[in-house]
Amino acid sequence: MLEIRDLHVRIEEREILKGVNLTVPKGEVHAIMGRNGSGKSTLSYVLAGKEDYEVTGGEVLLDGENILDMEPDERAAAGVFLAFQYPIEIPGVATMTFLKSALNAQRKARGEGEMSTPDFMRAVKEAGSALNIDADMLKRALNVGFSGGEKKRAEILQMALLKPKMCILDETDSGLDIDALKVVSEGVNALRSADRSMLVITHYQRLLNHIVPDVVHVFSDGRVVESGPKELALELEAKGYAGFDEDAA
Amino acid sequence: MNAPLRLGPAELTLIEQLKTRGAEAEAERLTGTGLPTRRVESYHYTDLKALLRQVPPLAEAPEEASPPPMRVPGAFQLMIANGVVQTHGSVPAGVIVGKVAGSGLTTRDDVLVRLNQSLAPESLDLNLQGSVDPVIQIDRRIEGRAAHVASSATIYVGDGASATIVETYGGSDEAHVGNHATYLALGKDAVVTHITVDLSSRKSSHFSTNEYHLGEGAKLRTLIIHAGAGLSRTQLFPRYGGSEAFADVTGLNLVADGQHADITMDASHAVPNTGSKPLFKSIARGRSTAVVQGRLVVQRDAQKTDAKLMSQGLMLSDEASILAKPELEIYADDVVCGHGATCGRLDESALFYLMSRGVPKAEAETMLTRAFLAELLDPIEDEELNEALTGVIEGWLLGD
Repeated sequence: MLEIRDLHVRIEEREILKGVNLTVPKGEVHAIMGRNGSGKSTLSYVLAGKEDYEVTGGEVLLDGENILDMEPDERAAAGVFLAFQYPIEIPGVATMTFLKSALNAQRKARGEGEMSTPDFMRAVKEAGSALNIDADMLKRALNVGFSGGEKKRAEILQMALLKPKMCILDETDSGLDIDALKVVSEGVNALRSADRSMLVITHYQRLLNHIVPDVVHVFSDGRVVESGPKELALELEAKGYAGFDEDAA
Repeated sequence: MNAPLRLGPAELTLIEQLKTRGAEAEAERLTGTGLPTRRVESYHYTDLKALLRQVPPLAEAPEEASPPPMRVPGAFQLMIANGVVQTHGSVPAGVIVGKVAGSGLTTRDDVLVRLNQSLAPESLDLNLQGSVDPVIQIDRRIEGRAAHVASSATIYVGDGASATIVETYGGSDEAHVGNHATYLALGKDAVVTHITVDLSSRKSSHFSTNEYHLGEGAKLRTLIIHAGAGLSRTQLFPRYGGSEAFADVTGLNLVADGQHADITMDASHAVPNTGSKPLFKSIARGRSTAVVQGRLVVQRDAQKTDAKLMSQGLMLSDEASILAKPELEIYADDVVCGHGATCGRLDESALFYLMSRGVPKAEAETMLTRAFLAELLDPIEDEELNEALTGVIEGWLLGD
């Protein structure tokens, strides 16, 4: 379970998150919708532990443990996973090498043994085939030369391998055509489970037709201004964000 | 008028040594010019007058031999110790080994070239034909007490021949001054990989001049690694003299606290349809300096030259300096020539991405540093050689 309590965050002098309160119970999928610049992506980076942000107040608990003092790699080992809006291209780092390093680093941090190479290969192959990721793609350098769709599928592949407790998907639908969106959504849906929470951050209602959330939160000016059932997304699509800004005022 | 030149102890020693070897004209010239300072453009960032304070006595014949600084399993070994070509055993097919008097370098207005020409006693003379199978390692070392050594190798690679040549520089842990030369000529369609690795003592100064002549269709890959001497400079003088000649001229400066390393290339594209892709990388930590100078001269006749010069630097400390200077001098009008330079720390967003997947910071930094170097190492196809070079670099990365 993820609990965000009165989270305040600034970059330099500018306050971006102004008291976010949000709880995602175990096994649930919550969506955050909001217009550009409302602080959605900032929230995802802060949860994953990016350095550039200064947390000035509040706390973030994962199963009761405050994760704000942890390094990004420690948060990952604790079960946080951020699917990036723009996955980073890293020339010179082979995708397979990276996957193996990440998986084994997390296992080590949790006091588990290294996964054997045959087991690892099998796990990658299994997860990859569900996402139409072939061996050729995995032979390339991490995200280098991947199309937009390939990058997003590779993110979901990582998610499937690392088996996080808390998945944050930042604008996972951006840059995807409808076919790619289906593949990615199916990949995400396959990972829904009773002991895994998800926070789906999106700009458009479109993604939520494919990944159907339990709860929708409307984000505006650095805080959650409204929460409701999945139908809230449709209402938002009809009314636009402006209506909710007024509600908030 | 100019004030009279004040000569330092290094210059006075060099002048005496030139006289001892009967190079009166060079001695006189050096008396007049001194060692180059930053006012000499090609030494702008490596002020030899300031950096080279002492020159030890000229080397005597070596008495003992230390193990080679780097072993390439299966390589055919040749040795030049204190400038003297050592005798050898059996020679692989396609290789003729000999020696000739003096330096193999062509005359050029450069102090290191002139000193090598005046002081190198002899030159290893290699003639390679056909597909030479084992890697050829030329193990150059300076043994015994601190010594000034000029050494030379002349390598002819015949038409259609192919070879991989590794030159390593090492020796005893003393304040040596090594001034080494390699003349490498590639015949028609010859394919050569030429790697030089400086692993000499941190107390020493290492200078090397590599002159390359590429014939028609010749393909050359170089990798120059500075990972040893406190002061090092390798000069690369490739000349593209035959149509379709191409070279990947690459190099790597690894500098830690107190070190200064310089790779300076002066390339000449002399005929139409030649190409080159010089790529130089530097990693600097502590208070150190890495220099990359790349000069590309495209002669009037050298139409359709395709050359792209790149320098990339990775700074691992606040006190490190990386100095990169490109010079393009183009006299032909139908060419594609460019240059670029980057310099910075490890990419923060890449570091965050790796960490967000659970990779601890130190491991993520190592992965990214290796990735930075992959472009230089990946093209080295001989597996054992690649491993040996990786070992040298990893050793540096893990050192202090």
